[in-house]
Amino acid sequence: MLSRVVLSAAATEAPALKNAALLGPGALQTARIFHTGQPSLAPVPPLPEYGGKVRFGLIPEEFFQFLYPKTGVTGPYMLGTGLILYFLSKEIYVVTAEMFSSIATIGLLIYGIKKYGPSVAEFADKLNEDKLAKLEEAKQASIKSIQDAIDMEKAQQALVQKRHYLFDVQRNNIAMSLEVTYRERLHRVYREVKNRLDYHISVQNVARRKEQEHMISWVEKSVVQSISAQQERETIAKCIQDLQLLAKKAQAQPVM
Amino acid sequence: MAGRKLALKAIDWIAFGEIIPPNQKAVANSLKAWSEALTSRLAVLPEAPPAIDWAYYKANVATAGLVDDFEKKFKALKIPVPEDKFTALVDAEEKEDVKTCAEFVSLSKTRIEEYEKQVVRMRNIIPFDQMTLDDLNEVFPETKLDKTKYPYWPHRPIESL
Repeated sequence: MLSRVVLSAAATEAPALKNAALLGPGALQTARIFHTGQPSLAPVPPLPEYGGKVRFGLIPEEFFQFLYPKTGVTGPYMLGTGLILYFLSKEIYVVTAEMFSSIATIGLLIYGIKKYGPSVAEFADKLNEDKLAKLEEAKQASIKSIQDAIDMEKAQQALVQKRHYLFDVQRNNIAMSLEVTYRERLHRVYREVKNRLDYHISVQNVARRKEQEHMISWVEKSVVQSISAQQERETIAKCIQDLQLLAKKAQAQPVM
Repeated sequence: MAGRKLALKAIDWIAFGEIIPPNQKAVANSLKAWSEALTSRLAVLPEAPPAIDWAYYKANVATAGLVDDFEKKFKALKIPVPEDKFTALVDAEEKEDVKTCAEFVSLSKTRIEEYEKQVVRMRNIIPFDQMTLDDLNEVFPETKLDKTKYPYWPHRPIESL
């Protein structure tokens, strides 16, 4: 009971505390006069989930503990029974027709609650838990997306280090193309000069060959011309004579 | 004439591929293709052409003085090195790029700080089963019901329920 007094006091103070927190610091100063406890701006402590224990749904446990040293375990029950009998017998509590209807109604209610209470409570708790789970999921998703954003930013920063490759490639290409052009020019000059010199040489060669052939044919022609018909007949007769001599010699040889 | 040193930087093609944004892949591929074509052409061409055998030509060409003339002119000929107008442009571009990258990195760092602050805030909220609706509206401002725009319960358009 005392603890519940403290708790209810805390509960009534808690909204006041919350309101005090919402007011500005100036307003808090004036409100401070009415608070006797220390105004703690810490987050409100979580409210207890279950109330204090009670017997018969009405009488708190602390009462039984209060009477236990003097009257033992059965003390409060005796007190209760005695009180009820006293009220009935002295007609402080009058028996009317409503008493029986209320007994029936309350009995039915107690039966219903005892039988279906836990499952209904479970269902309600599940609804609450679903809401909490959704919120938790939203929170985790939010954290994850921010982490992903951070990681992507870090990756982009890492890529910045490699940007210079782009320009290296371009510079390489430029240098290579210049070098290729230069070398091609060198080669071209060499080729052209060599071609010209070779041309001269081949022209000379052709001219000389033509001269040779011409001279040979001219010499032949002139020799043939210079052989007159007379000389030709003489030459042929001499050849025949020589041949006959040779034939005789040749015939003579094998005989030997 | 010959004997110029060609200073080429080694390129890491994988890194080059990484930094290209997807909408410029075609340009990057053409750069790479150019680079490879040029390397192969460079490999084919020897650094200097072979020397011309002047003695042979002098002995064999009949026209007097022609070979000497050629030789003199050939030795006097200096082939111009093609001038490099473009490396300066590339260098200027690179400097600008370095500046924009530094800017981006600093912006990115501020963004990362903000994100980290948000993450810390998210991690430090009280557990949901100890929150009130006011606390929830503080952490997730989008859950706050607009009571001026929708003065009647449920304080939001029916379709969004």
